Amino acid sequence: MYHIDGTDYLKQKYYKKTRSICPECHEPIDAEIVEREGEIWMQKECPDHGYYEDKISSSAKYYKWTHFKKKDKDGNVEWQFLKDGETNPPDCIGDDPRGCPYNCGLCEKHISTCSLALIDLTNRCNFNCNFCYANVKQAGYLVEPTLEELDRIMEHFRSKPIPPPAIMFTGGEPTVRKDFPEICKMAKDHGFKEVIVATNGYGFQRKNGKGLEFTKECMEKGLDTLYFQFDGINNETFEKTRGIKNLMSYKQRVIDNCREAGLSSIVLVQTVVKGITDIEVGNVIQYAIDNIDVVRGITYQPVSLCGRSYSEDDLKEMRITNADVIKMVDEQTSGKIGIENAWYPLTTIVEFGRIIAYLADVEPVEFTCHPDCGFATYMVVDPDTNEMVPIMDYFDPIKIVDFSNRFWDKIKHKEKEEIKFFENILGDFGKTLDKGVNWVDKQQLRARFLAGMLQYTKKPGKLMEMFTRILLNGEWESISAFTHGTLLISSMHFQDAYNMNLERTKRCIVHFGVAMPDGSVYEAPFCTMNTLHRPAIEKKVAKKAGTKVMEEFDTTKGERVLPEQEVVHNGGTKKEE
Amino acid sequence: MSQEVITTKDGLKVRKLVSLKPSTSEEYREAIMHRVDHFSQKRDSVFNNMVENILVKGLELILETKIRVDDLLGDQKETVQDFIEKLLFIGL
Ligand code: SF4
Ligand code: SF4
Repeated sequence: MYHIDGTDYLKQKYYKKTRSICPECHEPIDAEIVEREGEIWMQKECPDHGYYEDKISSSAKYYKWTHFKKKDKDGNVEWQFLKDGETNPPDCIGDDPRGCPYNCGLCEKHISTCSLALIDLTNRCNFNCNFCYANVKQAGYLVEPTLEELDRIMEHFRSKPIPPPAIMFTGGEPTVRKDFPEICKMAKDHGFKEVIVATNGYGFQRKNGKGLEFTKECMEKGLDTLYFQFDGINNETFEKTRGIKNLMSYKQRVIDNCREAGLSSIVLVQTVVKGITDIEVGNVIQYAIDNIDVVRGITYQPVSLCGRSYSEDDLKEMRITNADVIKMVDEQTSGKIGIENAWYPLTTIVEFGRIIAYLADVEPVEFTCHPDCGFATYMVVDPDTNEMVPIMDYFDPIKIVDFSNRFWDKIKHKEKEEIKFFENILGDFGKTLDKGVNWVDKQQLRARFLAGMLQYTKKPGKLMEMFTRILLNGEWESISAFTHGTLLISSMHFQDAYNMNLERTKRCIVHFGVAMPDGSVYEAPFCTMNTLHRPAIEKKVAKKAGTKVMEEFDTTKGERVLPEQEVVHNGGTKKEE
Repeated sequence: MSQEVITTKDGLKVRKLVSLKPSTSEEYREAIMHRVDHFSQKRDSVFNNMVENILVKGLELILETKIRVDDLLGDQKETVQDFIEKLLFIGL
């Protein structure tokens, strides 16, 4: 169990002041995060629109653990899950007197770099989900950056001192664009290590070999991962969420085509909606395990309540938190992926990641978001039982986190400043010698770090070997071998106006990039973009949509019946008559 | 059996997983279990580097020994770990 069990910290009620926004007028207001009857709630009052409250976590104990500060005997904080990130130079100086989040762009107060760059490729889509903000038909205009604009956005991200290693194309449905494979190539040419598409599977599922051909072409051009909309394994579930019948065969064709093409990095993304998809949480895990040769991960996304006003009762009825998701996983896997031992905030591995990046000479991925943003667990195959188990069975995670933090503290200055012993004495001639000295220094650091890791490894097996290889050669092949047959399960809770915590937004590591008409690129955190800035920004970049574009994927009227699909005529959740 | 299937009143199949065993083909399962061998069959694999392989083997042996020693140490384990950590931090 958690290392805070039995401590006084658990007995104290959680309380923190923060800033949020009014769900009605969106003005920034003060908010409190408080503990009430074993849960954590946000309470806030707008002078014009009154009092609001919303559940932040259904487990006060889990929440408090993720906000725990480990202190030394003098009371100084040794480590916590809340990390300060590295920063890039700002793109703008925030001059809106309302402050955060009205200065996005990205302003000088933002305290994380971008780890995942997002670009909306289009607001066209072959589906018409009722909760989706991206829909050309409803918007009445087209948002679709040209290749030149995309090039500009990618250049913007990659030219930063600490560039994002990964890019994700979003939409609408990105694969409705005919030039999608070219865009993947462009991303690789810009140096993105990981090219990801958030997709409902459209391009990859096409029949008569077209989907397979498309999958192969995308792979050849540089696509690495599918972030694949996957609400469950029952047709009825998709019918409720997407308004389309018999979607499972569509989804299965994507998996089959990826398998045949050799694309083995699919992340199943389930939007968790109370009473609709929440009962499928375990099903998705089983499906992932059964397709472990191509599925690398699952991301649960508790539904965000954007797009309209919700009453207090609606909120109570619909709100799902990360803690709810991990409780459901616990229940639906008979405790095998338990809330008490398997899940950690994403920020847990910040220092660990920095050490690996420095010692293995690979680009760092900075997970310095807020601890409330997401939790993850990592499943590996136990060679003795052939069963998937959380990686925590192999390592003592808290000890490793502790060790990594202290180790990084000792060596981080080396990342900024290499040893210049001979250069100082011999000038330029000494540079070559210093290269050798730095190489030897890294080897001894690797040895020390590995020895530290060994201390806290509980079982022998291939994992430690794979980890050692990553550290020794830093090659992509080692990373692939490490992730081969493993499953990263995470739960990411995006914010909406009801639960927005500005402490979270200013640490956001997932940023949208939009090419603006004046030639600049607007960069904004995912949650502020979707909650606040999207309408105004889209109006600036909107293009006129011709009739052909409007009609091409119009599923709202049920005019276009896809093979094996039948559109539910209300274009969304099928209501009982 | 790796799951119990419950059918809800709406006809949805809900599984309660009681085992997390992959049902992928035998061939692939082998590849998961012997991932380095699987990758090193490729001619230019980084896993064919002799020096690296010796180092990895060495570490494997150390790890096995360490786990056996951990069992013997019992309550003393933490003290020994602290001591080794101090050694690892010398000069940093
Ligand atoms: S979210 Fe970040 S970029 Fe936006 S206003 Fe706040 S600190 Fe600035
Ligand atoms: S699949 Fe649904 S949620 Fe995704 S972009 Fe299309 S309409 Fe929106």
